[in-house]
Amino acid sequence: MRKEIILLISRQFLARLFKSRAVYPLLGIMLILLIYAAISGVSYHDHNHFREDHQEMARDSWEGNPDKHPHRMAHFGTFAFRLKHPLSMFDFGIESYTGNAVFLEAHKQNMVNFSEASFSTGLLRFGELSMAMILQTILPLIIFFMGYSAVVADRENGTLRILLTQGASWKDILFGRSFGLLIGALLFCLPFFLVAAILLVSEEHVSAEIWMRLMLTMFIYLLFVVVLCFITIAISVSSRSSKDALVKLLGLWLLMIVLLPRTAQAVGSYLYPTPTKLEFKSAIEEEVIKNGDSHNPDDPHFSALKDSVLKANHVNTVEELPFNYGGFVMAEGERLSAEVYSKHQQQLMDTYRKQNSFSRVLALANPYLAVKNLSMALSGSDFESYVDFQNQAEEYRYLMAQKMNELQMKYIGASVSSSEGKVNVVGREEWRNFPDFEHEQLSLGSVLSAEVFSLVSILFWMVLAIWMILSLSKKAKAI
Amino acid sequence: MYSLMFRQFLRTKTCIIGLSLLLVLGTISLLIGKQFLTEQQEVAHQVVEKQADHIARNVEYHSDDLGLLLYYLEFALINDPSPLAGLSIGQRDINPSVQSVTIRTLEAQKYDTDLLNPVKLLYGNLDLSFILIYVLPLLIIAFTYNLLSEEEESGTWRMIRVMTRSKIKFLLAKLSVRFVLLFTVVLTLFILAVGLLDIPVGQPLLAFFSVAILYMVFWFALSFWIISLQRNSNFNALTLLSIWLTLMILVPAALNNYLTVNHPIPEALTATIQQRDGYHEKWDTNKEETLEAFYTAYPQYKKYGYPTEDGFNWLWYYAMQHLGDVESHEQSVAMRDKILKREHISELWSRFVPTMHAQLALNRLAGTGLINHIHFLQETSDFHERTRLYFYPQIFDQAGAEAVNWASFKPEHMTTVTEINWWSTLGSLVIGALVFTGLAFVQSRSVL
Repeated sequence: MRKEIILLISRQFLARLFKSRAVYPLLGIMLILLIYAAISGVSYHDHNHFREDHQEMARDSWEGNPDKHPHRMAHFGTFAFRLKHPLSMFDFGIESYTGNAVFLEAHKQNMVNFSEASFSTGLLRFGELSMAMILQTILPLIIFFMGYSAVVADRENGTLRILLTQGASWKDILFGRSFGLLIGALLFCLPFFLVAAILLVSEEHVSAEIWMRLMLTMFIYLLFVVVLCFITIAISVSSRSSKDALVKLLGLWLLMIVLLPRTAQAVGSYLYPTPTKLEFKSAIEEEVIKNGDSHNPDDPHFSALKDSVLKANHVNTVEELPFNYGGFVMAEGERLSAEVYSKHQQQLMDTYRKQNSFSRVLALANPYLAVKNLSMALSGSDFESYVDFQNQAEEYRYLMAQKMNELQMKYIGASVSSSEGKVNVVGREEWRNFPDFEHEQLSLGSVLSAEVFSLVSILFWMVLAIWMILSLSKKAKAI
Repeated sequence: MYSLMFRQFLRTKTCIIGLSLLLVLGTISLLIGKQFLTEQQEVAHQVVEKQADHIARNVEYHSDDLGLLLYYLEFALINDPSPLAGLSIGQRDINPSVQSVTIRTLEAQKYDTDLLNPVKLLYGNLDLSFILIYVLPLLIIAFTYNLLSEEEESGTWRMIRVMTRSKIKFLLAKLSVRFVLLFTVVLTLFILAVGLLDIPVGQPLLAFFSVAILYMVFWFALSFWIISLQRNSNFNALTLLSIWLTLMILVPAALNNYLTVNHPIPEALTATIQQRDGYHEKWDTNKEETLEAFYTAYPQYKKYGYPTEDGFNWLWYYAMQHLGDVESHEQSVAMRDKILKREHISELWSRFVPTMHAQLALNRLAGTGLINHIHFLQETSDFHERTRLYFYPQIFDQAGAEAVNWASFKPEHMTTVTEINWWSTLGSLVIGALVFTGLAFVQSRSVL
C-alpha cells in the first residue's frame, strides 16, 4: 500500500465525481436543507424563552403569596418547565414527544404535560427535519449515490484491468476510492459541523462541557461517514454490475434507516407491555395504604408512630407536643408515599428501557442506530435526559413539600388543625427563601456511560469495515 | 401472454422477497393494531370496573359530607376507539382515551397525559397505515423501476418491439401484472384485518380501503411516468427513491417544522399557571367577591347567598375551584384555536402531497387524528359541567351522600361517528393519479 498511489486514485475518483455534475444539485439541496434545519433548530430552542418566562411567572406568583398556612402553600405548589439543552438545536431527539411542564405539589406526583406531540397533527409522525436527521438519513443516501459505481464501473468499462497492470494493488484501489469518497462525503458533512459550531458560538452561557459534547458528536458522525464510505466501496467491488450495486445499497439504506429501527422498537414495545395509568396509580395507592396512610385516622403505622412520639416527649395528647403534630404526620406520610412512588416510577422506567433495548441492541447490527442514540444522548434530547428531568422535578417537589411540613411543625400552634384564614400563618419571606427549581443537565460522564453500547458498536463497525475492505482486496476480481 | 407475464414475474427474487415482506410486515402490523385495540378496551374495562368501587369506597368514608366526598370522586369519560383505529393508530397513542375528572378545576385535569414511552412514540407505530403509506410505494418502485430499461439493457427490447403490436400495451400489461399482485396482497391484508380486529364492513372501511388503493394507483402512475421517460435503470431507481424520500420525509417534516416554529402554543403554559392562580389566590381574597364572580357565571345559584367571611364552606370552595377555569378560559380557548389552526394548515397542504393526505385521511377515517382529540376535550368540558351542575345544588343544600343515586354514575362514552366526505377523502389522490397517468401517456406516445 503506497500513499502516493492511494492519493492518486482518490484524486482521480474526485475528478470524475465533480465532472459528472450530478453532485452540484445535490450539494445545493443539502445546503438548503441545512439552512432550513438550522433555522428550525434555533427556533425550536427559542421555545426555551416561553418556558423561562413561565418559570418566572410561576415563581412570581409563588413569591407573591401573602402570609399563609404552609400547608396551603404546599398545595399552591409550583411548576417545573423543562428547558432544552443547547445542543438540541442540532438533534431534536425525543424532544417533541416529552412533556414540558409539571405541576409540583404536596402528596401528589403529577404528569409532565404539554408535549409538542400533543399539539401536533399527524404530520409529526413523518419525522422532523433537524441537522442530525439529515446527517443520519440523507447523507448515507448521498454517499451511496456518489460511490455505488466507484469500483464496479471501472470493471464494467475495463479500466480496472489497466489500473492493476500499471502496478496499483487492490488495496491501493479500494482504499484510494474509499478515501476519495470520504473527501466527497466530508464536503457534504462539514457545513453541518460548521453551522452547528457557529450556532453554539452565538449562544450565551455555553460551557466547555457543551463544546466537548459537540466535538464528540462530530467525531462520531465522522466515524459513521467513514464506515459508510467503506461499506459503499465494499459493495461496489463485490457487485456484478453498477445497477446491482446501486440496488443493493438502496435496499440497505431502506432496511437500515426505515424498516429495521421501527420494527425493532415495535417488537420491543409489543413484548414488554406497560401498566395502564389506572393500574399504575392504584398499585401505588394500595402500597401506600399498606405501608401507612397518613389520611386515615385509624392507620396502624401512624397510630404506633403517634404513641411513640407521645411517649418520647412525655406527654399524653398531641396538643401538648412542642410542635404541630399535623405537620409531623404529613412529613412522615410524604416520605412514605414518595418512596413508594419512586419505586414504581423506577420500575416503569425500567420497563421502558426494556422496550427500547431492542432498538439499542440492534445498534450492533445497524450503525445508523448507534449514531442516532449517541447523537441524541450527547445533544441532551434522549430518553435518559428526560428521565433525569423527571427525577429532578420530583426531588424538588419532595423538598418543597417537606420544607412546608417543617415550617408547619415549627411555626403553627400544636393545637391548630385548620389551614384556612388569616390566623395560623407563616411569614411570606419564607416563600422567597425557598429557591426556585433549576434543572441541571446530565454530566458528560454519565451520558457516555449510559451509551457504552452504542460507542462500542460504532467502533466495532469501524473495525469491521476496514476488515471488509482488506479481505475484499484479497478476493476481488478484475473481470 | 398475460399468464406468462405473471409466471415470469412471480419467479423473480424481487417479487418473492417483496410480496413476502409485505405480507409479514402487514401481519405484524395487524397484531400490533390488535394489541393496541385490546389495550384500549382493557383501559376502558378497568375504568368501568374501578369507578363503581371508587365511588362505593369514598361514599362509605365521607357519607356525611357531600362536599368532601366530591372533592375525591372522579368520573370517567371514555373516548371509544373505532376498530379502524387498529389500522391507523395516528395520534391515539399520544393522546389519552380516558378522562377521569373530579368536579374541581377542569383545566388542571384535562391535559393530563397517559404514561408514555417517548422513544416508542419517536419511532412510531408499525400499523397498517405505515405499511400502506411507506412500504407499499417502495415495493411499487422496486417492482417497476426497470420495466422498460431492463429489457433494453439486456437487449430483449428490440425483440419485443418486433413481436408486439403496441409497446404501450405491453408496458401496461406488465404494470397491471404487478398491480394485480399487490392489490391481491393488500386485499388479503384487509380481509385478515376484518377478521382479526372485528371491523364492521361498511362505509368507513370501504373509504379506508379506497384511500389505500388509490394511493397505490397514484404511485403506479408516478412510476409509469418515470419509466416512460425511457432512461436507464439507475436513473429510474434514483429518481423514484428521491421522490419517495421527498414526499415521505422531507416535505412533511419541513411542514411540521414550519408549524412548530410559526405556531407555537405558549398559551398552554400560561393557562396552566392561570388556572392554579385563579383558584388558589381566592384563599386569600375577599369571599364575597369570589362568590359574586361565581354567580355571574351561574346566576341560578344566587339564592345560596353570601356565607360569612370567616371559616370554610363548600359553596365558597367550589366557587374558587370554578374560578380557576374562568380565569384561564381565554388562554385555554386561544390554545385550542391554535391547535385547530395547525390542523387546518396541515389539511390544506396535504391536498398537494399524497403521502400526507393519505395519512391524515386514514387517521380521520379511523378517528385517531388531532381533531378527534380536540373533540374529546370539548366533550370532556361538557361532561364536567354537566356533572358539576348536577352536584352543585346538592352540595350547597348540604345534602348527604344518600341523596344521590350513585349507581347511575357509570363512566360515559364518546363514540365518534365518521362522516365521510368522499370527495375530500379521495379527490386529491384521484387527481394526482390522473395527472401522472396523463403525463405518462403523452410521454409514451412521443417516444415509444
